[in-house]
Amino acid sequence: MKRRVTTTALAAVALAALAVTTACSSSSTSAVGKGSTTPNGAPAFGEGITTTVNPSSVSSNGTITMDDHNTPDSFDGGNTYYAWVLDFTHLYELPMFVYKSCPGLCGDTLVPGLAADMGTVSDNGLTWTFHIQPDVKFENGTVVTAADVKYAIERTYDRSVLANGPTYYQALLTDPTYPGPYKDRAKNLMGLTAIDVPNNTTLVFHLQAPFPDLPYVLAFPSSAPVPPASDTGSNYQLHPMSTGPYMFQSYQLNKQLVLVKNPNWNASTDPNAKQLVNKIIVNLNVNQSDIDNRLIAGDIDADVYGVGMATAGGAKVLASSTLKANADDAINGFARFAYLDTQVAPMNNLHCREAVEYAVNKTAVQDAWGGAFEGGAIASTVMPPTVIGYKQFDYYKALSMPGGDTADAKTQLAACGKPNGFNTSLAYRSDQPDETAAATAIQASLAQVGIKVTLRGYPTGNYYTDFAGDPAYMAKNSISMAMGGWGADWPNGYGFLDELSNGNSIASTGNTNISMLNDPVINNLFKSSGTLSGAARTAVWSEVDQQIMKDAAIVPGVYQKALLYRNPDLTNVYVQQAYGMYNYAVLGLKS
Amino acid sequence: MIFFIIRRLVMTVFLLLLVSLITFAIFFLVPRLAGQTAYQLAAEYVGRNPVPSEIHQMEAKLGLNAPLWLQYGRYIKGIVVGVHYNSGTSTSFCPFPCFGYSFRNQEPVWPQMMSDAPVTLSIAIGAAVLWVVGGVSVGVLSALRKGTLFDRFSMGVALAGVSLPIFFTGLIALELFSYKWPIFPNVHYVGITQNPLSWASNLVLPWVATAFLYSALYARITRAGMLETMGEDYIRTARAKGLPERRVIGKHALRATLTPLVTIFGMDLGLLLGGAILTEVTFSMQGLGAFTIQAINNQDLPEIMGVVMLASFFIVLANMVVDILYTVIDPRVRIV
Repeated sequence: MKRRVTTTALAAVALAALAVTTACSSSSTSAVGKGSTTPNGAPAFGEGITTTVNPSSVSSNGTITMDDHNTPDSFDGGNTYYAWVLDFTHLYELPMFVYKSCPGLCGDTLVPGLAADMGTVSDNGLTWTFHIQPDVKFENGTVVTAADVKYAIERTYDRSVLANGPTYYQALLTDPTYPGPYKDRAKNLMGLTAIDVPNNTTLVFHLQAPFPDLPYVLAFPSSAPVPPASDTGSNYQLHPMSTGPYMFQSYQLNKQLVLVKNPNWNASTDPNAKQLVNKIIVNLNVNQSDIDNRLIAGDIDADVYGVGMATAGGAKVLASSTLKANADDAINGFARFAYLDTQVAPMNNLHCREAVEYAVNKTAVQDAWGGAFEGGAIASTVMPPTVIGYKQFDYYKALSMPGGDTADAKTQLAACGKPNGFNTSLAYRSDQPDETAAATAIQASLAQVGIKVTLRGYPTGNYYTDFAGDPAYMAKNSISMAMGGWGADWPNGYGFLDELSNGNSIASTGNTNISMLNDPVINNLFKSSGTLSGAARTAVWSEVDQQIMKDAAIVPGVYQKALLYRNPDLTNVYVQQAYGMYNYAVLGLKS
Repeated sequence: MIFFIIRRLVMTVFLLLLVSLITFAIFFLVPRLAGQTAYQLAAEYVGRNPVPSEIHQMEAKLGLNAPLWLQYGRYIKGIVVGVHYNSGTSTSFCPFPCFGYSFRNQEPVWPQMMSDAPVTLSIAIGAAVLWVVGGVSVGVLSALRKGTLFDRFSMGVALAGVSLPIFFTGLIALELFSYKWPIFPNVHYVGITQNPLSWASNLVLPWVATAFLYSALYARITRAGMLETMGEDYIRTARAKGLPERRVIGKHALRATLTPLVTIFGMDLGLLLGGAILTEVTFSMQGLGAFTIQAINNQDLPEIMGVVMLASFFIVLANMVVDILYTVIDPRVRIV
């Protein structure tokens, strides 16, 4: 009989969790964490980044109201990829794993959610076994079984029905051609051979290759259980079956969502969520300026989209000491940068790329993104500091000479055979004012060294599918640079860097490795990470980051920040580092 | 009159078909002529990192792999006859008038539009009442008090009204009356059947911001028309006959001015009913205008088709009503 042991791969996740927990041990003694205030008891600017503001376990009969300037791609956990929805779904869906509800670096820690433990993995890393808690219920009182989790994962395979969510299962698990349970339901329902369900509380996953980060993939809400009988396919977004502290009362598509308490939720099964208010209302499609002003006026409790106030609202807050004390300027885990396409001349020459790295005026780019408060911190690496594995380095003097280093840029231009500069094009999303300004700043700074940049603007909607993310289009139109931004799918180096730099991730459309980087050094680092664990594995990510910069494939812009405003009446407010915004699953009200 | 209405309704159907054909050509044919393939279009609706088989599946599901003439035919047939839709676990039927299913959220377009229409109707009709009453009143008074301080002041304000866009006046109104002095706090749409008082109080600022722009225009047109008419011989005759001044102005002078006013009113109201885009976005009210913006941002072609056709219908309907009103205003006009 084969003995299943806790392998090094399992230890990778556990040790990473331990390392992060140790790093923030002073700030977290409970799932919520200790609060901290200024000496006179009032919160201060930035308190919510490292501590819990207004910690409380007191329930109120109140209603939390949040506004969104947009609409979600879907409230169906199996059909969403928006960062705020991944955070928000914890209010009504319990995936296999969740991020520990605590402020600071602690918030990157993966802990069991529906799972009873962190799981076990076979010696060869190809088989993972998980057990779920036996007493979690849906909102209708039905007990959750392992089959419900398997079905939740199965339904994500049919992208003609559920198009929006991540596709890691198809890439990682055996049986990648499984068509999903919607076509020929009699045959395909529960037919995914990559997942076995030997009993009501056990799931066995079969992988194509070792992948230590599988628990991170299971932290997506797509692993939250879905009872097959309740599934309505593309309509499930209108009322998902809740396993969280709240459940849907009503959802007017693209207008308003109302959540009420789930009577069949048991707090002991999910210590990382709380049920402290009677109702939560989310208003959609609200003008951003209106949201900011309503927040300041106290009419609403949070901007649920979580990427910060607009310029005007932010200026009001920062100009008032009272309002500023209710704000947090958190690094939200996103990075803004410019890709340099290594396949399009003249960027197919390393020295030409290095010239660009030196020449770009990082301060001007930071200003374009909103300055130090609302834009972000000047970046010298691809990975932001909030990602596990980050190490600081600065190959191109982004921090020591943020205005640009024209001398070194000209040296590199001479080395690439273009001492007087060259002409090229830069793609950007023209309907995004900040990105437009950043592209213009890059254009202006490169002109100082003779690099003439033509700006090519495209709509956001098909920027990745038809333009910047279409390698053939980029090559055909000699566009060697493209603006970009990225947030990690999970907060370690793999989650952040894989799609940006792994040669395997180059795609003919929707390409996110826009630099067309296919460096064997980087590819091998990713490949080897599958067999490493703990600190050795974590160290790989910085090596990848450094190699990307040695290849000069990406020009870092800013580690993006979000100026978040918290209504003073909210309790348990802090930035959940894994999402870069407030943790919506623990919020309460003072009254 | 009945035959006129029937004739116009039949023409409306043909006109809407023409509008649908042009809209379809703009959003489906022109990109094809520019080199976009059905595969590329389908890829926009499959989310991130799609593999070719998934894109082909979406192509088939959205019908994008059919010839364009067939896609258009199916779309029109769907409007008239209805269409079946598979949500994955069940098949539902979308009856007439079915404007298809959203490429993005896969929900039927018509119910979404009908859900948003009351917001637009509320804004448009309320603002229309305000701008007609306000604009015409100010225009008449200005004409009667030509050259006075009132005339100069009101025309100055009218100039400002015409020049200032709604998103400016609206934001100023919100800043003053919603945030700074919360006379109308937390402006949002409330259905009239839910709470009539709240419905009205939440619409005051959108009505005033919208009406300010239009009433300025109507005031200037009314004033110009009244000044021209007041110099006519029949007005002098009416006064000479001893008619009360109120009757001279209301029944004789103003009536002659109404024809151009009714004409532009029909166009203005028709356009607004199709979506008061700026007002809805400024005041965060999800009406047909906001729906249009989202449809365009999401490149949701069925939604774009649906809202364009609905807006066209309102414009055509408004023009028909205007033509009927002409016969009431001016007895010399007869419907042929």
